[in-house]
Amino acid sequence: MRRRSKRWLLGTVLAGVLLMTSGCGRGDTILIGAQTFSEPKILAQMYKLLIEDRTDLKVDVLPDLATSPVVLQAMKNNDVQMGTLYSGEIFNNHFPIEDTKDRKRVLEQAQQGFDKYFNLKWYDPLGFENTYAFTVRKEVADKNQYKKISDLTANAQQMRLGVDTSWLERTADGYPAFKQHYNMTFGKTLPMEVALVYKAVANNEVDIVLAYSTDSRLKEYDLQTLEDDKKFFPPFDASPVVRKDLLEKHPEINDVLQLLIGKIDAKTMVDLNYEVDVKKRNERKVAEDYLKNVGLLK
Amino acid sequence: MSITDYWDFLVSRRADIWTAFLDHLQITFWAVLLGCIVAIPVAVLLVGNRISWVNSLVFTIANVLQTIPSLALLAILLPLIGVGRTPAILALFLYSLMPILRNTYTGFQAVDRNVLEAARGMGYSSAQRLFQIQMPLAFPYIMSGIRVTTVYIISWATLATLIGAGGLGQLIVSGMGTNKKELIVTGALLAVLLALAVDFVLGRIEKWITVRVKSEPVANTQ
Repeated sequence: MRRRSKRWLLGTVLAGVLLMTSGCGRGDTILIGAQTFSEPKILAQMYKLLIEDRTDLKVDVLPDLATSPVVLQAMKNNDVQMGTLYSGEIFNNHFPIEDTKDRKRVLEQAQQGFDKYFNLKWYDPLGFENTYAFTVRKEVADKNQYKKISDLTANAQQMRLGVDTSWLERTADGYPAFKQHYNMTFGKTLPMEVALVYKAVANNEVDIVLAYSTDSRLKEYDLQTLEDDKKFFPPFDASPVVRKDLLEKHPEINDVLQLLIGKIDAKTMVDLNYEVDVKKRNERKVAEDYLKNVGLLK
Repeated sequence: MSITDYWDFLVSRRADIWTAFLDHLQITFWAVLLGCIVAIPVAVLLVGNRISWVNSLVFTIANVLQTIPSLALLAILLPLIGVGRTPAILALFLYSLMPILRNTYTGFQAVDRNVLEAARGMGYSSAQRLFQIQMPLAFPYIMSGIRVTTVYIISWATLATLIGAGGLGQLIVSGMGTNKKELIVTGALLAVLLALAVDFVLGRIEKWITVRVKSEPVANTQ
């Protein structure tokens, strides 16, 4: 009896080890990393659908990587080979940069820097920007005549701010720099998973949130974004990013991705996010429908 | 990053680090305290209870609560009580129940029946038996339940930052978001140190109370 249970245990352990190792070696499958919010997940599904449609390659999506630097790290380690990143990522201390808010210069630096230091190809933008946007409930905006960020100066001290988990720590475009730039501080800051901020402000658990500008819940919850009148936030153009060794091995991927470059504008992206975040549809289905609509898939 | 860079970082960010640390301590403290307030009396009631299905029901509930993944529990509580510290404390409190309940119950069960019988023979009332015999004898069990709970509540509280409750998890998660390894290391290190320190302090408290209770002549407390 004892011997049998020992053998059984050994078998289980072996099976476990085999499972784990087979999970690691995915062979020729390309893995696309996506952050926690819907947008990069939808885009990852688009890359996957198009690549699988036009090449013989097999593609999988690895969703819910905590943050963009985590996606980058995973690409560096070759755990994933592709992803969607935003040009403002250069402000996350990956390499020395020239501090600028010029849209073109930020993109150039992202393309050159991530090529040089990470060996990644940073494509030209997909055609939309997803930047930070200060957002309040519409009734609050109407009542207090809030139209731009400067309008908050007098009341900021009494406000509770909901933000994503990184912004307070970001150096060039985060809270410390913001305080100086706009000369205002908020009474209380509550960093949380970004998907929660929209509901939190709608439910009056916080007074203002720093939203992502392409999030469809801005519309859904009747929220009002405030104009960045002192031009604080840098540009955040979304681009596909791919390991260069993968592109050398499979140049056909390049042709496929070019189909999407410059083709997705902000309104389209908001609509796609709406399908997933508000209508609760599957990201893959949303991506598929879109590609069929624009004639990229049959 | 060199040691001096890290030191500079610690000095320049000490206010934020301290706030995160205090938040973490507070969340843990309230969760464990609520856990004690609820779980210990319930365990005592269960020991005296003769209807066995009630006991198994209570233990099953506590066990099931324990098995819900912490992130999922936070997500479930969100629509009910929103973001911030309260839902975080409530979620962690639910996790603290089982170990305290189980340990208190076991501690009371472990009290020698003959001792209780002797006490009854000497005319102890049931309240006297509870507070002067059972409680002191079960005390090491209860304390070990509290210590186990506290240590892992400290580690789980790092997730609380995802629902806006702050704490050391905030350093870790924002470090991940901004590629600042020093933040991640600091948050993790402080969580470890906090767990060790709190466990040590609880150990001392346990010893101190045990010695005091033992040295007190029973006649005096009558």
